[in-house]
Amino acid sequence: MAYVIAAPCIDHTDQVCMTVCPVDCITFDPAADRKAYIDPEGCIECGACVTACPQGAIVPALQLKPEWAFFEEIDRGWFIDPDWARDAVDALAA
Amino acid sequence: MNGSRGVAPASPRVASPAARSLRPAHDIPPTRPLPSVPRGSRRSPTEAAENATIVEREDVSPSVARFVVRPDGPIAPFVAGQYLALGIRVDGRIVQRPYSTAACPGTGQAHEFLVRRVPDGALTPHLWSAGAGARVRLGPPKGIFILEPDDPRTHLFVSSGTGLAPFISMVHALAGRDRPPRIVLVHGVSHAADLAERARLEAWTRDGLVTYVPTVSRPDDPASAGWRGRVGRTETALADICGELGLDPATTVAYLCGHPGMVENAERLLHGRGFGDVRAERFWGPGTAIPGAGAAAA
Repeated sequence: MAYVIAAPCIDHTDQVCMTVCPVDCITFDPAADRKAYIDPEGCIECGACVTACPQGAIVPALQLKPEWAFFEEIDRGWFIDPDWARDAVDALAA
Repeated sequence: MNGSRGVAPASPRVASPAARSLRPAHDIPPTRPLPSVPRGSRRSPTEAAENATIVEREDVSPSVARFVVRPDGPIAPFVAGQYLALGIRVDGRIVQRPYSTAACPGTGQAHEFLVRRVPDGALTPHLWSAGAGARVRLGPPKGIFILEPDDPRTHLFVSSGTGLAPFISMVHALAGRDRPPRIVLVHGVSHAADLAERARLEAWTRDGLVTYVPTVSRPDDPASAGWRGRVGRTETALADICGELGLDPATTVAYLCGHPGMVENAERLLHGRGFGDVRAERFWGPGTAIPGAGAAAA
């Protein structure tokens, strides 16, 4: 299963994950996004981002803590409807 | 799934000004109920994700199978060497992993995947029990582990296990060229029974398209009964054939795909022998040693 970027990334997006991802499947628009997002259909599960993230925000989808479970859907959703995902992040962080 | 990559544009770490005024989200109390539908009341865009059907499952061995998956609509254009996320719904949600397609690009309406069954995996046991006719999720083709256009150099393909898959697609693609280059394909497996696509590769060898070099690392295992071919690890076979087949580093491009350990060893070996153009695709998975990272489920 793909990796997921969870709550600690919100408003603390370091972006180092984007530089270490070997398949460029992590996206972040600093003008619009409050966190980075992993494309679950591009992630090859190498774990490079997990090691690199200084926030400890990236975890395998199947190992998400219950309070972070929704971030799997949010990450997937961004690649279909970014505004939906941004609204979801706002709702979780409000 | 390629050693080379693009680099994301550098930009400062900031969210929107409005966002900065909000408290960090990891302040969310663990017991706080999750919203079933986020603010804005739009339905999740991630629902109803199945978009393809398993039309065939061919058991290569007890632990390896070839799945043929047909998308509902026209097959999305892809090039040889790319991968797609293949997923199936488990307990209400799509569980998916990336797999290189072995299909011939430009023809046909289905993808072919070589899948190793992981007994405790999150995905593969469900693929096995679902079988032909099951509805699955197929992502878009991804990846830059691909051929160079009209490259006349000898193509050395080195694979282990299900890492063979992209090379089947690549041979298809090269065979379609007006003047196919020389192709040498090394495939290493633990047991002879795991030599997927063996009949097709032997046929391509008889046709003069490919020099097929299968090697078995556990020839004494019952699953290798009757094996009379080359024995040893992929890297060992690779070291041998560089000389046996007279591969010239200056006129050879090498593509490596499979277990990260094999890929690393093969890279080192080839570089040590002067091969300058070595491209790699690593298959990650359960049990793969990734320092500091959790093993992926399968």
